[in-house]
Amino acid sequence: MNPPTEKNQTGIVFNIQKFSVHDGPGIRTIIFLKGCSLRCDWCSNPESQSPRLQLAYNPAKCLGIDDCQRCQGLCPQDAITTGDDRKIVRDVAACDDCLLCAEACPTHALNIYGYQVTVDQALGRVEEDEAFYARSGGGVTLSGGEPLFQSEFAIALLSQAKQRHVDTCIETCGNVPWPVLQEAARHLDCIYFDLKSMDPATHEVATGASNQLILKNLAKLEDEFPELPVVVRTPVVPGFNDNQEAIAAIVDFIKDFPNTEYELLAYHRMGMPKYAYLGRDYPLADIETISQQRIDQLRAFAGSRLEQARGEN
Amino acid sequence: MECCLSPQEQLLEDQFAGRENKFRTSRAHARAFKILDRVQNLTPKVDVERGKYFTESMRQTEGEALILRWAKALYNIAEKITVYIDDDQLLVGRAGCQGRYGILYPELDGDFLDLAIAELDKRDVSPFIIEPQDGKMITEEIAPYWKGKTFHENLAQALPPDTLKLTYEPDNPLLSRFIVNETASFRSSLQWVHDYERVLRRGFGGIRQEAAEKLAALDPFSPDDNCRKKPFLEAVVTVCDAIILWANRHAALARQMAEAETDPQRKQELELIAETCARVPEHPARNFYEAMQSQWFTQMFSRIEQKTGTIISNGRMDQYLYPYYQADLEAGRIDEDQAVELFECMWVGMAQFIDLYISPTGGAFNEGYAHWEAVTVGGQTPDGRDATNDLTYLILRSKREFPLHYPDLAARIHARSPKRYLWEVAETIKEGSGFPKLINDEEVIPLHLSKGATFEEIYDYAVSGCAEIRMPNRDTYTSGCAYINYAAALEMALYNGRMQRHGDELIGLETGDPTKFTEWEQFWDAYLAQQLNFLKHAFVQQHIIINLRPHHFAVPMSSALHDLCMASYTDLHAPHIEGGIDLGYFECIGYGTVVDSLAAIKKLVFEEKKLTMAEIIEALQDNFQGREDVRAMLRNAPCYGNNDPYPDSIAKEIDRTSLEFTKKYASELGVNLDLRLVPFTSHVPFGKVISATPNGRYAYTPLSDGSSASHGADINGPTAVLLSNFASKNYDYKERAARLLNVKLTPGCVTGDQGTEKLVSFIKTWCDLRLWHIQFNIINRDTLVAAQKDPDKYRNLIVRIAGYSAYFCDLSKDLQDDLIARTEHTYI
Repeated sequence: MNPPTEKNQTGIVFNIQKFSVHDGPGIRTIIFLKGCSLRCDWCSNPESQSPRLQLAYNPAKCLGIDDCQRCQGLCPQDAITTGDDRKIVRDVAACDDCLLCAEACPTHALNIYGYQVTVDQALGRVEEDEAFYARSGGGVTLSGGEPLFQSEFAIALLSQAKQRHVDTCIETCGNVPWPVLQEAARHLDCIYFDLKSMDPATHEVATGASNQLILKNLAKLEDEFPELPVVVRTPVVPGFNDNQEAIAAIVDFIKDFPNTEYELLAYHRMGMPKYAYLGRDYPLADIETISQQRIDQLRAFAGSRLEQARGEN
Repeated sequence: MECCLSPQEQLLEDQFAGRENKFRTSRAHARAFKILDRVQNLTPKVDVERGKYFTESMRQTEGEALILRWAKALYNIAEKITVYIDDDQLLVGRAGCQGRYGILYPELDGDFLDLAIAELDKRDVSPFIIEPQDGKMITEEIAPYWKGKTFHENLAQALPPDTLKLTYEPDNPLLSRFIVNETASFRSSLQWVHDYERVLRRGFGGIRQEAAEKLAALDPFSPDDNCRKKPFLEAVVTVCDAIILWANRHAALARQMAEAETDPQRKQELELIAETCARVPEHPARNFYEAMQSQWFTQMFSRIEQKTGTIISNGRMDQYLYPYYQADLEAGRIDEDQAVELFECMWVGMAQFIDLYISPTGGAFNEGYAHWEAVTVGGQTPDGRDATNDLTYLILRSKREFPLHYPDLAARIHARSPKRYLWEVAETIKEGSGFPKLINDEEVIPLHLSKGATFEEIYDYAVSGCAEIRMPNRDTYTSGCAYINYAAALEMALYNGRMQRHGDELIGLETGDPTKFTEWEQFWDAYLAQQLNFLKHAFVQQHIIINLRPHHFAVPMSSALHDLCMASYTDLHAPHIEGGIDLGYFECIGYGTVVDSLAAIKKLVFEEKKLTMAEIIEALQDNFQGREDVRAMLRNAPCYGNNDPYPDSIAKEIDRTSLEFTKKYASELGVNLDLRLVPFTSHVPFGKVISATPNGRYAYTPLSDGSSASHGADINGPTAVLLSNFASKNYDYKERAARLLNVKLTPGCVTGDQGTEKLVSFIKTWCDLRLWHIQFNIINRDTLVAAQKDPDKYRNLIVRIAGYSAYFCDLSKDLQDDLIARTEHTYI
């Protein structure tokens, strides 16, 4: 067996997406890594939360057992039965994610979220678009999940990317041990750092964890890596932080950080179908999406508050 | 995504909400909008004058040299055709009646004109109006003369039987089989660009004088001078007289109208028109206005001269017009708005002309009244410097502020294109109507050097037609070329030389029963044998076409505008012109469809053995009815357009084997016949003859277009589409030609300045990759779906199709569906 090196380090990713134009400078490739320490109610990538491979089922793609029997008789747990509409039904509780059925499914109605890759393979995919990075200043962005959840793999990816002269960026929730973030930052050209709320209690209710580690990490990061461009991002979620007080508190926290920009992201529901595919309920089924007008107001408010604060210094 | 609409979509929304478009009333555009409003929604009329006067003259000149007959016929038209001046127009000269019009070319289709005219107003797609007395004239006077005399009748007789059965339905040569499809009989020339600069600088008077002097200097005893040179030169003199006469008739009319005009401003305009038409195109142009009018007379008379495929292109307008504009600007005679106004007077004039196709094949190739008077901007000067200038930016500005689907705008891009130019090109693309298309100097220039052009000639190339290029004084090839249905070769490999649509008839080669094949190579060899057989027949076709055309078609004016024709006393349609480079082509239709099908068979049948060939063929024959599982497996096999070496290497091999064939045999025809992947809209009719294919495509639906991926197969984003295109090209062969590439983006991914910046870098990478062409549709799928449901509301929605843009609602349902199905790249 080869000795373990950064290059043959493996990790679990669920997507490598080319031509990303909203996640860092230039035209980029995003590697989505599985696993996250938070459980945000509004998470638009529910398949990213578990670090393991997972089975998903989208009945809309199932041809029904009259036209296709390719998954029939394969399940060791007998977790696949037939519904009234002649499409299959998956018993989520009984399924142990052995994935045999998904491998047989021709339409990917039964689908596997996640696959294993080595650092070398992943960066090989990234470098395919090198001609585009050269002109646009793009590179690779690690996202997730929390990209630093698989900490060794993520750091190996970043370190190797830098050695191969690929521009690096991550999108982190910040809820990771400081030494991991610190090591990652040494290999980064840019970081997107989520700050969801300044209030620890609210934060814990909505995400499953307090914000204390996150806030400390951001402060340390700004202190130790003052040259590193940071974009702090807040997903604006109705009923959680869609008010001026919540945004003001975040602005006030970050206003003195160097090289730091601030962005608001509007809550959206595009991840909703994936909850159903995973056999899960959507946590925010009852809330409204945020209006364009409201998000524009909050953006203007955040922008002027930050400008004002910085102008005073 | 939060931001959603392209500027074009926003404009439509504004229109629905009753908000006024500010450009409609602005100084630069008000006149053109006013003219456009009068004609935009008119159903086109068939104008018979061109066909009538052409035929009238041809009846009287039988037996004379064809080029002289043609010149005399043009003179007869110039003398008798109705001349008129549209209200508000500043540029005059039309090939047909007021409103939107199409004209007749009975030399192409006269023998079945009577039958076709009866059907014309019943067409679903691109209908026309014809007046009853005009229909009568066609049936009684025009059509009878041409029966037995047209090119397509002769061609059908000349083709060997085994070529014929791949070309036409055996019992009716008017119907193409869309297998090895000839395109020489529905147009008398390929796309073409004149040397307009010659007209502006010397005038037709100067050209006439040159011909007259040469005529006087002929050796009166020389049989060659008497039989070849003399009629050529007489034809040049006659055609120069014709266009000068035509212009002077407009001058006289303008003078008359000016006298009667009561509005002082219009009176002044008419007086200026009169003065201008008396001056040009006979004499050299002295200012920008005269240059524009002179160019316009020349291009309109070209439409009268012959049916040029996709219409005569405009060449490098920002280059040859610039000296006139610059001088006027410096002298304070013109400002930017006035120049834009004149351009738009010309654009509206183009839109009023409809490229009427009588033959069903021609109509299917050019849906949506397609024509491409490509205007080229940007690029490099003949000595290799960047060529952008103020006119480049004015033309781009006009395209953004006056959205009309004519002219087709082509922007040349090179490695040192200035940032401002790339930025304005990107901003114009973002408008969402598909303009401009981009052509890559970094591919075109070295390639044509290797084909024999000089630096000076190729640095000065103009875009022509859909995605082609021309060097106006060096190119000499005008024969319409073969469009080859590669998907039919695939179908014949599946069915042992037969096609589902034609039952047991053996059309291709018997390459064996594929269910008996045990190795991938056997299937590949079977496919390749069919493909090469098609190429063989395409080249046989072309050989006959090249030699037959000069007996049917001549172009005295186009020849008068060409250095080499004038130097050798040869009509431009001659098979060979001394010193010329003959850039012909043959067309691969269904590239993505075939590649994906072969990749699926290779992977699933011979490598993974998940399906048998028999299972696949059975599912195909049933059009996947009840076998959607097989279809899903086929669709999920590796597809071209994803930068995946598995299908891309098959794509490269299909490309290479085609190049190898022409490398070996084109020289026997004395021309270059280069591989091209540019479909017009023909991937739709070509798809209509192909049963279900092993890439999961349903029977008789469109094939993939150009070098684009199959519908919905490119799931890795637009960067992968470009890289697959790069990976599948054989850069070591000079026998390659244009490849057309469509990319559809949602407005969301190019929004704002940041989006423009990213689009610019995307274009720069496309340039680095030396891909020939690219064009964008920046539009939301929802808008297209809405337009299909409610065409009245979306009448002026412009979309990009093959090498051109058209009103979405003028397209057939098939083509609309095809556009909707093209993968939309929307990553956020």
